[in-house]
Amino acid sequence: MSAGGGAERPLPASLLAADRAVLDRFGARILERIEAFGELTYCVAPGDWTEVLSFLKDSPEGAFDQLDCLLGDHLPEREDRPLAVVVHLVSHAHGHRLRVKTALAEGQGLPTLTGLWPSAGFDEREAWEMFGILFEGHPDLRRLLTTDDFEGHPLRKDFPLQGTVGGRIRIDLRGKI
Amino acid sequence: MATSAPPSASVEARVEGRRPTLEELKERKARSRQRGQRTGELMTLSLGPQHPSTHGVYRAELDLDGEVIVAVRPEIGNLHRGVEKLCEHRTYHQIIPLTDRLDYLSAFAMNHGFCEAVEKLMGVEVPPRGRYIRTIAHELCRIANHIMWLGIHVMDLGTQTFFCITFRDREYILDLFEMLTGARLTHSFARIGGVAKDLPDDFDYRCRKVIDFIPKRVAEYERIIKYNRIYHKRTKGVGIFTAEDCYAWRVTGPALRAAGVARDLRKDEPYAAYDEVEFEVAVEYNADVYDRFLVRMKEIRESCKIIRQCLDRLPGGPFLARDAAHSLPLKKDVLRSAPAMIQDFYHVFHGPHAPKGEVYRAIEVPKGEMGVYIRSEGGPRPTRVRFTTPSFYHGQAVPALCEGEMIADFVAIFASVDVVLGDCDR
Repeated sequence: MSAGGGAERPLPASLLAADRAVLDRFGARILERIEAFGELTYCVAPGDWTEVLSFLKDSPEGAFDQLDCLLGDHLPEREDRPLAVVVHLVSHAHGHRLRVKTALAEGQGLPTLTGLWPSAGFDEREAWEMFGILFEGHPDLRRLLTTDDFEGHPLRKDFPLQGTVGGRIRIDLRGKI
Repeated sequence: MATSAPPSASVEARVEGRRPTLEELKERKARSRQRGQRTGELMTLSLGPQHPSTHGVYRAELDLDGEVIVAVRPEIGNLHRGVEKLCEHRTYHQIIPLTDRLDYLSAFAMNHGFCEAVEKLMGVEVPPRGRYIRTIAHELCRIANHIMWLGIHVMDLGTQTFFCITFRDREYILDLFEMLTGARLTHSFARIGGVAKDLPDDFDYRCRKVIDFIPKRVAEYERIIKYNRIYHKRTKGVGIFTAEDCYAWRVTGPALRAAGVARDLRKDEPYAAYDEVEFEVAVEYNADVYDRFLVRMKEIRESCKIIRQCLDRLPGGPFLARDAAHSLPLKKDVLRSAPAMIQDFYHVFHGPHAPKGEVYRAIEVPKGEMGVYIRSEGGPRPTRVRFTTPSFYHGQAVPALCEGEMIADFVAIFASVDVVLGDCDR
């Protein structure tokens, strides 16, 4: 059972068409193409982030009109690029899904997706506060879920599960953090 | 400043029984957002976090120009409990009770979404009886959620009594849940590979009584609300959000279906027993608050149909997968057979075995589409879990929904997208 249940599940035909279009257009700039659990994943470089995603949104084969979710991730075992951003896309026209990932070094910024899909706004704020991933050009990059004086990025693997960080709500810091 | 009542142009522009085109909807939206006199003087109003109409601890800072909402700044996070961080330190079985607390008004749907994702990761096949019981519980949960939503939504519009009527009817569903799971709100009923318990003996009889009763109640609600002129004035042509807007802001569920999109993951990406039962996707076309109400009422009726079909066709056999590596054993076996006891020890002290990899599974919960992302490095605990909950995005879309509308409509529009803050803040 090491491959999981869905490893042999085929991808839908519409997604394969979109896949061909992407590979024709970007070729080796898609750093890795993973097919597992009936899902397709692309890994791209942070520099290609906006270009690949806007192609996926606008190309008729892809037509990914909805950003299902954007999330940050922390992989401390990957020392040079410990952070990751993962995006899940949905196409209502074709009914297929796709995942796109990128790996980031500490402090490296990533262009915002709020211009393509406005719903990325809260997701990027969350990824910023939880992992410290900087989204360049985001209109309102403030803490979203934690208090204004919270220190650190709580979803990183080295952040303790228990402890006292922050705890008081400081009105004087509102809008500055 | 005696302003004449705003000519409710958008209400009259609505022709019943005809599907508006996207252009018409856009024009209606623009007209609806030009109502009200603007004075050019801004006032900031802080609504919430303890305002009764914010459905929890949602805070919105409204910039008002006269009665017109110019800008909305949503503030969420007052109910943040760090569920995703906790998940990384618990085994897959132990996460199920945490998911109850996401959307506490439709707890089973949250359990179900998480278990579907875990089963996809582990490759667990749910036995037919388990799938049917899940479908029944999920639809009961949808009915309870929509009834609760209706009561609160109408209470926001100023009708106190109606809230009591809907709450009484919701009790019947909660009684069924109590019978089925032992808990009224946070059930933790789904398990990896099935459900925790089989249906109790007289569940069939009592469930049928309730689902025969609920459509009659829905007819009663419609008699009170659907043809109520005050309700029409407050909701028709208000808060128009077209399909394009819904895609852009990831507004899903009834709000998307009220915009004329027949998108329902129960049909589009079937799970549990939804591909074996017949039901219609509730769709309306005017994309306003009133149509979101109509969609939910239709969905309650469809849910009753689904439950009835599931009860009729309920297959026999196990309700939990006999999968020693991934599922818990039956409690009654644990003290009687050695393999079951070993399996129990393995799952309680170690946890189920998951392969390395990442999965994303989205299901249709009452409020919209809920996705669960799991990245596993192998072993009993996930490395990263993300709950993509509908309320999070609905709460984010409130500025786009409300800007340009009147302040009095804010509560109606906000309620119409069904935000629960436990779901939003995680």
